[in-house]
Amino acid sequence: MHPFLVLAALIKINVQQELAYRTDTLVNMLVSLMWLGWELTGLAIIFSNATSLAGWTFGDLLALSGMWRLLNTFMQAVVYPNTEKFNRGIREGTLDYTLLQPANSQFLVSFSRIAIWNLWNVGLALATIAAGLLISESRPSPLNAAAFLALTASGGLVIYSLWIVLIALTFWFTKFDNNVTLLSALADTGRFPATVYPIWLRVIVTFVIPIAVATTVPLQALRGDLPWWQIALALAVGLVASFLSSQLWKAGVRRYSGASA
Amino acid sequence: MIEIYKRFWQVNWAEQWQYRANLLMFLAYWLVSPIVYLAVWTAIANAEGSINGLTANDFAAYYLTLLPVDIITSSITIHVLAFKIQEGTISNELMQPVHPILTNTLMNNIAFKALTLIAFVPIWVVLVLLFRPTLTIAPLNLLLAIPALVAGFLIHFFIESLITLVAFWTTRVWAIWQFNEAVSMLLNGAFVPLALMPAWVQLVAQVLPYQLGLSFPVLLILNRLPAEALALNFGLQIAWLAALYAVFAFLWKRALRQFSAVGA
Repeated sequence: MHPFLVLAALIKINVQQELAYRTDTLVNMLVSLMWLGWELTGLAIIFSNATSLAGWTFGDLLALSGMWRLLNTFMQAVVYPNTEKFNRGIREGTLDYTLLQPANSQFLVSFSRIAIWNLWNVGLALATIAAGLLISESRPSPLNAAAFLALTASGGLVIYSLWIVLIALTFWFTKFDNNVTLLSALADTGRFPATVYPIWLRVIVTFVIPIAVATTVPLQALRGDLPWWQIALALAVGLVASFLSSQLWKAGVRRYSGASA
Repeated sequence: MIEIYKRFWQVNWAEQWQYRANLLMFLAYWLVSPIVYLAVWTAIANAEGSINGLTANDFAAYYLTLLPVDIITSSITIHVLAFKIQEGTISNELMQPVHPILTNTLMNNIAFKALTLIAFVPIWVVLVLLFRPTLTIAPLNLLLAIPALVAGFLIHFFIESLITLVAFWTTRVWAIWQFNEAVSMLLNGAFVPLALMPAWVQLVAQVLPYQLGLSFPVLLILNRLPAEALALNFGLQIAWLAALYAVFAFLWKRALRQFSAVGA
């Protein structure tokens, strides 16, 4: 089956599920609006005590908080619900049914649940990024803007690949059902530029659990802070990461023998 | 009664001990945001020399004290109780001739904390070596911190129990909890030492219960509070604890009536 047809079918199911709980959707939207207000308050407090944070102005940090929201939305909308379903599938054996379906198993496992209401969060994130860029009055060159978009996509790919690696490890360590805890705990580091952190933490959020590649790095490219070879390197890492993670996934599926077998 | 608590402790300790590997992962939640805020304020203090008299070293001392205080005084009640109410499994505990929240849930909180603290100590030592704050802690302040920490934990415990009780009426208890978290994180000293807030925010924060379980014990341990502030905060702790317990007891009775009406 063509992946786009599968995706369309999955989205349709998830929209129907969302519409069954309309009040919950509304409450969720209000809660995320509240958190946006919280983040703005936090930035206001920081900038009532300082004029810049490691060279980043209010507008820059606002744009960064939009990037962070984009990442966080991906976690809420895709990572958490599908990890939960996957872990239950491994524990109870229902993963067999997913693997038997005539479509790419990695695709099915990662996108069968999509918390659709998070489209609202995507909107809030994009608005925050736009507002941040307007306030910081950044006039990026077309080349920097292109690098920003490419790095955002590849940063997302890196996080996605890391997630696939984490859940694929469950094929080897069956009891590894808190596979995404560390990823979600460290996600909060994406609220601020990685350059603020002490070197050991910067290494962790850049190379080990690379939250920064999806938040700080694209904005650094937009600001023109990155030399061309670092941009090329970051893009290459995205491609290599997605290749390696899908190989690990395939190896895991080959190893998997089902909870019932 | 002591025997009952001892039994509940044994059960909950054994339960937490089973999940000790998970616990290590969850520890990351406690560590990340204080370290993030420490880094942010340190960067600003270094750039500006100091903020309102606070130097980079002061922020390091503040947040490294805040880390253990946060683990000791925070509550996990909603995480261990809300689903029991929503799925109805709490009825097993209601059959027992003791108050389930004041025995089982309370002991579960304490067992979780005890195990988390044990895992936290080596990490804390590493963090102290990394940040090297000058911590001068007087024995008398540590002694005074014990009742402050106990009261601070109980205040958090009752606030969260109250929120969790709302689950008897509505399934959207997590939204209320998130709202409470948001207000709490701004006003309890976790985001920034309250001294850096505008004066009117400091006043609001002083009166509300949130800082009593975090900012107050931290500043007490660091010896930053004059005697009258100590007296005021201890007094506020007692007053809030009494008020929260009264509301809790009242709501618990109503919740039980509500529960039997739905579940029966």
